[in-house]
Amino acid sequence: MIGYTLPAGVAVLAVVVLELAVWRTGLFRRPAYWLSMLIVIGFQIPVDGFLTKLGAPIVIYDGQQTSGIRFPLDIPVEDFLFGFALVTAVLLVWERQRARR
Amino acid sequence: MDRWQYLIVLAACLLITAPLELFGGGVYRQPWRTVRAVLPVALVFLAWDAVAIAAGVWTYNPRYISGVTVGFGIPLEELLFFIVIPLCGLLTYNAVTAMLNRRP
Repeated sequence: MIGYTLPAGVAVLAVVVLELAVWRTGLFRRPAYWLSMLIVIGFQIPVDGFLTKLGAPIVIYDGQQTSGIRFPLDIPVEDFLFGFALVTAVLLVWERQRARR
Repeated sequence: MDRWQYLIVLAACLLITAPLELFGGGVYRQPWRTVRAVLPVALVFLAWDAVAIAAGVWTYNPRYISGVTVGFGIPLEELLFFIVIPLCGLLTYNAVTAMLNRRP
């Protein structure tokens, strides 16, 4: 779990701390953000599911480095932390530029 | 055809989200703001990717990728992933924001 579960958790924590303690863009108070993340996760399932399907995987994970929980489809749950951190970080920088103007 | 699978998935993501550009201020219509939001985050995640690949945390099935790498063992598809997925996220957020603001 050291190789993926841990850094994925740290990445989520990092973007949350970055927003709440440093940048304070107000992104987490915007309903548009949470609705967008729901839609993004909804689309992540078929796309990521295709990339990670155990029958013919495009991305192959070392089972020792993950929690071993793969849901839904064959998606390692860590991928959802990874995706959340990636998209949230980009939206934070995007919002930050608006705040600056 | 199999080796284009990952690239085709990424192209499909761009294609499906493209119409969202029509809402609000758009994403592609603010190219500089988009670059400044996507690039620094992509660099951080590419560094993570390079470490994970080097440590064998994840690997890519050579059957389904083009075989082109961009350094540090990172497949071209992964570089594009960190541009395409953020673009999809920005386009979604742009459209949702515009729709929620358009109250009757």
